[in-house]
Amino acid sequence: MLTPLHQQAIASMSYEKPDLVHGYAGQTLKVDLTDRSFEIKPVTREMKDTFTGGKGFDLWLLWNAVTGETAWNDPENAVCISSGPMGGTPIYPGSGKSIVTTISPLTGSVMDSNVGGYFGPYLKFSGFDALEIVGKSAGNTVLYIDGESGNIQLLDMNDLPEESYGLSEALTEHFGGPDRKKISVVSAGPGARHTYFGCLNFSYYDGRRKQTRNKQAGRGGIGTVFEDKGLKGLVVKCTSFSVDTNNPADKDALKTCAKAHTRNIRELDPKQNEMAKGGTTFITMIMNDHDLLPTHNFRYGQHPQAKNLAADVFRRLFDPGFDGCWYGCSVACAHGVKGFVPTTGPYRGQQVFVDGPEYETIAGVGSNLGIFDPYTVLEINFYCDAYGIDTISFGTATAFAMDCYDSKLIGKEQTGGLDLSFGNRWSALTLLHQMAAGEGFGVVLGKGIRKMKEFFSREYGADAALMQDIGMESKGLEFSEYISKESLAQQGGYGLALKGPQHDEAWLIFLDQVHNLMPTFEQKSENLHWFPMIRTWFGLCGLCKLPWNDIVPADNDQTEEPAKVMGHMKLYAEYFSSVTGRQVTPDDLVVMSEKVYNFQRLFNLKMGFGRRTQDRIPYRAMGPATVLEYESRQKRYDQDLRDKYGLDVTGLTTSEKIAALREKREEQYEKLTDAVYARRGWTSDGIPTLATVKRLGIDYPEVVELLAAHGVRE
Amino acid sequence: MIRVDDQEVQWFEGMTVTDLLKQIGYEGSCAVVRINETHVSRPTFDQTLVPDGAQVYLIPMIAGG
Repeated sequence: MLTPLHQQAIASMSYEKPDLVHGYAGQTLKVDLTDRSFEIKPVTREMKDTFTGGKGFDLWLLWNAVTGETAWNDPENAVCISSGPMGGTPIYPGSGKSIVTTISPLTGSVMDSNVGGYFGPYLKFSGFDALEIVGKSAGNTVLYIDGESGNIQLLDMNDLPEESYGLSEALTEHFGGPDRKKISVVSAGPGARHTYFGCLNFSYYDGRRKQTRNKQAGRGGIGTVFEDKGLKGLVVKCTSFSVDTNNPADKDALKTCAKAHTRNIRELDPKQNEMAKGGTTFITMIMNDHDLLPTHNFRYGQHPQAKNLAADVFRRLFDPGFDGCWYGCSVACAHGVKGFVPTTGPYRGQQVFVDGPEYETIAGVGSNLGIFDPYTVLEINFYCDAYGIDTISFGTATAFAMDCYDSKLIGKEQTGGLDLSFGNRWSALTLLHQMAAGEGFGVVLGKGIRKMKEFFSREYGADAALMQDIGMESKGLEFSEYISKESLAQQGGYGLALKGPQHDEAWLIFLDQVHNLMPTFEQKSENLHWFPMIRTWFGLCGLCKLPWNDIVPADNDQTEEPAKVMGHMKLYAEYFSSVTGRQVTPDDLVVMSEKVYNFQRLFNLKMGFGRRTQDRIPYRAMGPATVLEYESRQKRYDQDLRDKYGLDVTGLTTSEKIAALREKREEQYEKLTDAVYARRGWTSDGIPTLATVKRLGIDYPEVVELLAAHGVRE
Repeated sequence: MIRVDDQEVQWFEGMTVTDLLKQIGYEGSCAVVRINETHVSRPTFDQTLVPDGAQVYLIPMIAGG
């Protein structure tokens, strides 16, 4: 039993909870922390037709909340959270996702991040398709949405724990009492307050282990915005629910497609990647074997010690059991480690439960830092979550700082005496604790790679051109954890992604580099259209994409385009139709996403970005940036120059060969960019044409005006 | 004897993954196989021995993310 918490209501409002109709509550909730007000707004027919739900609703609310001049820490910036029409369905795998959007402190533009846990579905079942939070409070503010009694409160709660695990646990107990499964909490932590890459933890109550678990909306500093608003937590309490709660248009059809997909996963996951036993940890060694696992700040793609971070190591550490982050998910990939004892920080010597790690964390805070100790990976994973810090940005930004240290661009006098050699786990952990405390070099690092580059150049005279090449960020966001040097399509997957280099738009490395399924620019550009659209669609509907293509039907290999896993896409079209009553085909899903995808691109433009110059990536994402890298794979690169580009490399120095290869690869990237823009219906500067926005029905007066301001009139 | 997906396949001493795929006449685009609980990738197919009695699965696609 935790210490009882004290709360003081500073605003409250009762509301009538609507019955859901075909997956929609039909209204959204706006909370203004500055004037402590609540507003319930209707979801219009046009909103549903154009934006579908989920990320689409978030973007529409955010677009209307901010101007092109809004900064991330301005009061009018909004944190928007939503589910989606299928969100909360307790019989279809992967139906519990929430999507969060805001204006990011890292990029200055629109950020989106998807996350498991119960909050999104509970919010919808409590009467709201989306939540929009604007303004700022004095601090220690908790928003409590009680879906049981139909009451919303802003509370002042002074004696809450600082870090996220304690916060989730305390708020769950306080508001849930004996019914903790009815509670979901969103919180960040002290690291989110002192860095630009704070994450949000979304909780769910693990009844079997009798404890609160957390999933993370990691990317882009949404937790930082949350903390800046003076929020300590969002809490929703949900009544009991069932498959009927969404009031699906055709319950029998829903049951049929849910049963088919569930059966596929139950039968095939044990024969494929065993995600129900090991989550995404199996990816580590596959990436390493294909020279795709980031090591030492993306210099290389493999390391002899990578086996220390392999799936079998973490499977031995995971607490066994069926671990889904939403009801009815047969993928059940949300594993964790019980009884872990940190060796540093406030939890030193205490037994804790670690939620994770997943592949991205293993690669980001492990191999990319030259750390091949699984226990250090667990400790960094734990403290990142507890402090509200994104493991991917922490890993990639720390790797950059270590590279700068190794390259003598900075030294101990700049790091406060820390030895930032690759592999120094104590320094990595020290940086993390500094971020939580808001002190030391951790504060510099916590501003992200883009800011570090500027700072090191301005303050220490560090080589700006070299840092530009090896600083793995684009649009201000740190890269996620894949080596893209040998896959032009994945370079596009990273560089042309709307929010920055996160693989959730397009993960094409295997199709391109390993299977060679898209040798031409046309094929690459087609895939850089289709995959981002389909992956966007999951975020519109409240769904996880893992059940789509991480477990595939037995006959998938015999289909015309195995990578698209059309067997499952057909089930998803049936799923959407059965819940919403809108009869759709898989092709219709692409068009649904196109509307939102192009709207988000226009949103970037509104914020002063969204053009070709922002779609460029550091050279290390395209090829060897240094002599060391080139010579480590000299045979490959020499052969590339000779066979692909007809260059006689005899007598050339490594630096000359690097320059020659760079010229060719950068040229290829520009050609790819042209092809993708054309396929997406954009101008050569990366702006959707007037014809495109008209075709998609997003030609609002403000959009047309925005296009005209950028010279786009056709 | 080993099992490849749901079929029994004759095993021999020194059998590698490459040998196995050749023996079953596999012509698909498999870049990863699973031997019992361990994933093995194409770059190491030539060097990886398949133990007698193993359960082998041909992993159809690695989708990532």
